[in-house]
Amino acid sequence: MAVKMVNLTIDNHPVSVPAGTLVVDAAKKVGIEIPVFCYHPKMDPVGMCRLCLVEIGRPMVDRATNQPVLEADGSPKISFGPKLETACTTPVSEGMVVLTENDKVSEARKDILEFILTSHPLDCPVCDKGGECPLQNLTMRFGPGESRFLFDEKMRLAKQVPLGELILLDRERCIQCARCVRFQKEIVDDPVIGFSQRGRALEIVTFSDPGFDSIFSGNTTDICPVGALTTSDFRFGARPWEMNAAASLCTHCPVGCNLTINVRREARAGGRDVIKRIMPRQNESVNEIWICDKGRFAYHFTESEQRLTEPMMRKGSELVAVSWDEALQAAASRLKKAGEKTITLAGGRLSNEDLFNLCQLTSGLGGQYWMHGTMGGGDLLAQVGVGQGTNLGEFGPGSAILVVASDLHEEAPVWWLRVKQAAERGATLIVASARPTRLDRFAKCVIRYAYGEEVETVTSLVPEYKTDVSEAICAGIQGILGAENLVVFFGSDGLGLEGTTALAAACMELLVKTNHFGRANNGLIAVWPNANTQGAFELGYRPAADLASRLAEAQVAYIAAADPAGDDPALAEALRKTGFIIVQELFMTPTARMADLVLPAQAFTEREGTFVSGERRVQRYYPAVRPISGPRPDFQIAAQIAAQLGFSLEERLASLVFQRLSEAMPDFAGLTYQQLAMVEEQWPLIGRHDLYFGGTGYDNHQGLGVQLKPAAQRLEPLNLPDVPELPPLQAPEGAFLVVPITCLYDRGQTLLPTSLLHERMEKPAIYVHPKLATRVGLEDKQSFQLVLNGISTLVQVIFDENAPEGAALLPRSVGVPIQGPALAQKEIVSG
Amino acid sequence: MNELQKQYPDEIRQILAKYPPEYKRSAVMPLLHLAQRQNGHVSPSAIDEIAEILDVSPTDVVSVAGFYTLFHLEEGGRYRIQICTDLPCALRGAEHFLKAVCEELGVAVGETTPDGLFTVEEVKCLAACHRAPMFQLQGDGEIAYHEDQTIEKFRALVNDLRRHAQTHKEAA
Repeated sequence: MAVKMVNLTIDNHPVSVPAGTLVVDAAKKVGIEIPVFCYHPKMDPVGMCRLCLVEIGRPMVDRATNQPVLEADGSPKISFGPKLETACTTPVSEGMVVLTENDKVSEARKDILEFILTSHPLDCPVCDKGGECPLQNLTMRFGPGESRFLFDEKMRLAKQVPLGELILLDRERCIQCARCVRFQKEIVDDPVIGFSQRGRALEIVTFSDPGFDSIFSGNTTDICPVGALTTSDFRFGARPWEMNAAASLCTHCPVGCNLTINVRREARAGGRDVIKRIMPRQNESVNEIWICDKGRFAYHFTESEQRLTEPMMRKGSELVAVSWDEALQAAASRLKKAGEKTITLAGGRLSNEDLFNLCQLTSGLGGQYWMHGTMGGGDLLAQVGVGQGTNLGEFGPGSAILVVASDLHEEAPVWWLRVKQAAERGATLIVASARPTRLDRFAKCVIRYAYGEEVETVTSLVPEYKTDVSEAICAGIQGILGAENLVVFFGSDGLGLEGTTALAAACMELLVKTNHFGRANNGLIAVWPNANTQGAFELGYRPAADLASRLAEAQVAYIAAADPAGDDPALAEALRKTGFIIVQELFMTPTARMADLVLPAQAFTEREGTFVSGERRVQRYYPAVRPISGPRPDFQIAAQIAAQLGFSLEERLASLVFQRLSEAMPDFAGLTYQQLAMVEEQWPLIGRHDLYFGGTGYDNHQGLGVQLKPAAQRLEPLNLPDVPELPPLQAPEGAFLVVPITCLYDRGQTLLPTSLLHERMEKPAIYVHPKLATRVGLEDKQSFQLVLNGISTLVQVIFDENAPEGAALLPRSVGVPIQGPALAQKEIVSG
Repeated sequence: MNELQKQYPDEIRQILAKYPPEYKRSAVMPLLHLAQRQNGHVSPSAIDEIAEILDVSPTDVVSVAGFYTLFHLEEGGRYRIQICTDLPCALRGAEHFLKAVCEELGVAVGETTPDGLFTVEEVKCLAACHRAPMFQLQGDGEIAYHEDQTIEKFRALVNDLRRHAQTHKEAA
């Protein structure tokens, strides 16, 4: 459908924009800046601040003849209204004439700013926003030099109101634009802050528990046009102009949000670069200009005092510090001896370059390499992952999204946001899950299954298999049949390796049978546990169901960025039998404590690399801080060990490793770091020059990344796997079923060092439906010994009406090991 | 358990019946009145309960309650004396009257007398400019206008209310 274009002139510039565009946006697109406070290009206009007043004229029409009235020279006669109009609420119309720079407009801006400043404190010298503050900048540009209002009548209000432990409010600075209130309501559906009182007494309040209970709360500090909302993490931390900015990526989930890391060198840190804050970096195909609070605040692990800084070797029963030379030699000699009895185990937090060098080294020895994790199916994304050019931001009427076995709000918040917005624009959202999630209320159709029925639920959605199906499934089939585009998100809610692998196969079958693959905006997306799990799959790493026996039989286990011993007692047991353990890590994990050789690795902030997101977008991250002395990048360690063994691997630069990687891996063929760094202009315009318009988030100069083409898009033949049937989940007498779920704020190694988030972190607890609890004999808030896979752990019971009656929910990474659905018992304490 | 629901099941059903189910949030004002009826202010737990009944966030309920001067989020006296001091009233001496009232009761604007009976408040237009000085008396579940006031008339009223409160410990 062709979009109707409208022609108008703004300050004598002819402009042509789609019908419905607002005057303020039309002006911005041709480089004419109309100042705003309350307007934000990502939200509906409200016209509250009045700063965008402009003079607008429209062609006159003779009421009698309905013909345009012409001037003597034949041009249309323009009628200007007696009053100025708000450019942010007025859509363009044909022949409109907009004046943004005459005396009348300048006078109005000056007056509005004078009003806004009647009660605004002049504490810019101590304000976090000072230096990147729209109010400060626009006042300097358009405002009056002095105020006629009486200082004594200024509102005096509280200046340190914690809205929660993450966000602080300065009531005096607030100019009542409602950007934050609207963001929470319209964009992220957490209406937990609002206005109370009115007139000059208007103030922001929160009434949620915990305060400002939203996982997107940090974004309000970016779009706040003054210093009213600040994060407790950055408050009084640094001035904006003192900080350097480095482009990076979020490492906490598979969305791949683009970040900018602001750093400053500090004397009190011994001259080290210190990360002051994490800001979103615009990528309209990935995270737009938003990030979740986990991405924003959970970076402290990179600067933790607990980081490993020296190689360590077991001498006697102790791990003692050794030189890199000694460590590398020891590693090499052990690996050489082990040869094909080497097993490499890598985590999904490593970059592609690290993974590539590790697998090259292992293959060179004839050994085997595996991924640590309990989610499978990534190999299928190489065939039917979403096509190149996929952008959830384009989804609307005619498109469908199916989300299976994933609580996106907890697992990949920005995907949740994008899927929610797609549904609001008219895309058909189908949610299939075993329990209610925050996506349900936006779905056209919610399919509720019992844990264990994931695969048959997806299979029943294949229209040609249509047999005796429920109403919800019928609605789901209708949604899929009526859609031109379909993407399927699959996750690991309640599933282990076997379940996710089967589910991925079922999802692929659905996509193939309904012809939704091999092109943009169609295909499969996996909600992985790590930022680069997909990259590991691309490079040939797979999770192993029989990892324990493989580890037990290995002569050398080379474990990088993974903590098998901490995650799974069975693997810890197996590692006791492994001949020699090399661990490459940031921290002294339980696995590292078992190691014979520990090699300290650099954090992602200290080096560069690439990740592949769940949407198979290859993106670059850049060094943000100078590395602390000691640790080395993972790819370099692997190459240096290889050098001792006589193989030549690239150890100098990540970009050179990537060059070899793209030569070796067909899916990456032709890709270069230069290509990954390419950008194009994105709408809305945000960034340093456009602070007042889009907020303090950063614009993207460092690369939008490149989405890989799946095999289907390259027209290669498909290899459809069989869809395995899952054994039914049933609990015998005396036991009950426990399934793993993923929560945003878990107690993982990369999250714990951020003490700011401790109050919101999951505790070792299981969520149990009251009916199930009665059956098992558990009470709310009771602590008991949970016996799971032979291991007994003290956990708390939390009653949850949303939990299914058939299974208790146990969050991953809270200190109670769980790999997949499992039978549990309540330990009977004798005596 | 939702105390408000338990206490006023019929009233709540009647209020909700006035609005289409998908717009039940519109019932926030009548429910706030209902919650305030009991003890003259809307307690934090009542805010949560209203939010639960209407399926909105507690913050939304606070926003509405905060916007209107006749909803009270904090506990005040049994009687609220709300004196209009807008321009027309001021021209007829409302400001002097306010000062006299405060002196009479020995409290400042916004404060409550030690016996917990009276809170003095300054409010915007109550649409009785021609009979200023005037105030609105809120308490015991009722609202009454007192117009063409003098401090003597006020003193008499206060004495009446004190006597009434002596004999009727609980609000009617």
